[in-house]
Amino acid sequence: MARRRRRPNPGVGPVTPPPPSSLIGAPAMAAPPPIVGDNALVLGIETSCDETAAAVVAGGGRRVLSSVVSSQIDLHARYGGVVPEIAGRAHVELMLPVVTEAVVTAGVADDDVAAVAATCGPGLVGALLVGVSAAKALALVWSVPFVAVNHLEAHLHAAFLDEPDIELPVVVILVSGGHTMLVLMTDRLRFRVLGETLDDAAGEAFDKVARFLGLGYPGGPAIDRLATAGDPDAIAFPRPMLDDGWDFSFSGLKTAVINHVRRHQAADPADVAASFQEAVADVLVAKARRAAAACGARGLCLAGGVAANTRLRELVLDAGMADGLETYLPSPAMCTDNAAMVAAAGWWRLRADGPSPLDAGADPSLRLPGC
Amino acid sequence: MLILGIESATASTGCAVGDRSGVRASVRAAGDRRHAEMLAPQISAVCELAGVSLRDVAAVAVDVGPGLYTGLRVGVTTAMTIASALRVNMVGVTSLDLVAFPVRHTSRSITAVIDARRGEVFCARYRPVPGGVQRVSEPAVSSPEAVAAEIMAAAGEELVVGDGAVRYRSVFDPIRGAEIADRGFACPSAESLVHLACARALREEHVPPEEIRPLYLRRPDAEAKWPAAAGAPTPASGP
Ligand SMILES: [Zn+2]
Repeated sequence: MARRRRRPNPGVGPVTPPPPSSLIGAPAMAAPPPIVGDNALVLGIETSCDETAAAVVAGGGRRVLSSVVSSQIDLHARYGGVVPEIAGRAHVELMLPVVTEAVVTAGVADDDVAAVAATCGPGLVGALLVGVSAAKALALVWSVPFVAVNHLEAHLHAAFLDEPDIELPVVVILVSGGHTMLVLMTDRLRFRVLGETLDDAAGEAFDKVARFLGLGYPGGPAIDRLATAGDPDAIAFPRPMLDDGWDFSFSGLKTAVINHVRRHQAADPADVAASFQEAVADVLVAKARRAAAACGARGLCLAGGVAANTRLRELVLDAGMADGLETYLPSPAMCTDNAAMVAAAGWWRLRADGPSPLDAGADPSLRLPGC
Repeated sequence: MLILGIESATASTGCAVGDRSGVRASVRAAGDRRHAEMLAPQISAVCELAGVSLRDVAAVAVDVGPGLYTGLRVGVTTAMTIASALRVNMVGVTSLDLVAFPVRHTSRSITAVIDARRGEVFCARYRPVPGGVQRVSEPAVSSPEAVAAEIMAAAGEELVVGDGAVRYRSVFDPIRGAEIADRGFACPSAESLVHLACARALREEHVPPEEIRPLYLRRPDAEAKWPAAAGAPTPASGP
């Protein structure tokens, strides 16, 4: 059985300052080596919802050596949404193949992995526990730290995987099937939630409208596709809470769409999809622009599955142009749930806070730290 | 051949290490169902108690259920990941075998009954044989009353064991010739798991980690309801 080699630390300690000169002559105190080196490899595992994912990432996101995502969309499609028990079962079956593929694709040996990170929340508890259990098991066998990662924090790191030199602070529009929030990111470990949805997440609204229009599941890509043939100005759907703080509400918009279609049976579904999508993107981007101005942010950044939406991306680009802000639009593969972002976040957390205890559990309603 | 046994398919969580000469150390936490929180620290502790390294483990045994879905997934995922990382084989043992095994010294027939919630139980029947027990029926999910009817039909001396037997005491107690095993035998133990797994590993009844699957015995509710609601063809039933 191979044993872990003690490897010379490739990096430099991040926080420990050199001893002040007045201490010269005092007993030599060696600076504690950093828990994780600058180029250290972290294996990330993500199982918060319906994607089983594993990835190997170097240096907190500087290099993605592998990112494997096994989607369960086909298993859940006929139910029109994710069924927790079906997701939990699938994660167990997919875990070993996905982790193995991530390690093999990365071309690394077990001994090269410096830490194992897993999403511990928010998400479906029965799904989260599969990833957390697998990560702890690997940490035990490899004698490396385990890091419990906040899924929302991981999403905030995703844009850096494509573009490591993002100028901070940025306002991040974090939009997915489960979350809709506006976050001010001042550095890789410091965030402030400026606004959140008060009811449905943006992705949830897309799914519900798509289901009503008979477009199937998942709703986001279906509406995006149909909208290309429609007129975004055809129907003036409400822009809920547009001028009212930084929180969102999409439940009323969803109801307005359903009522409109019921009243106008002849309405072109493409126009409905385009107009609905326009309303969602409009509210998201309008608030993000105001937030960026108010907080002195230098850029706008997209994160989460809904960030793949074509119209949302266009409006963010337009806003950046108009307001002189940098815009960061991660590739769709990094927007949707993946483990590369978990591995990146794990590296940063490990450097800042050290390893997580092995008795850490999953928290289905975990919030962003410091919020 | 050192075996690590992991058991978290019911309300308790436990693990043990041992070999042919016996169990060297075991740890167990009863009852509070915090499987995911307790299991990894228990594995560290049990190795330390036994004075072995995880890397000395030559096979990983796991209780594959039936039982509580979440605990079962935590145990199976942990066990299969450890085995895969160590590149060793696994032995899967059902929870019902594990509750029947400790009462093997009886001369009576044995019915293992594990609480399946929602008014149902998981069950299987056994007969004692030299050195152990032999399962004479496939693990099944059933009502306590149906299990009681089977025991009555057998019309012999019967030992009923497991947390389902304790919970549905009022159903099993009145059966003539039947006795309910002590509460101390109600949950599967990691010690029994290591004991049984050693024997099976010696007979080479082991599998690679990726072939281990939890034994749920029930389909997910959504899947079970789907064909009735939508008139779709019945999907292939699970294991
Ligand atoms: Zn997500």
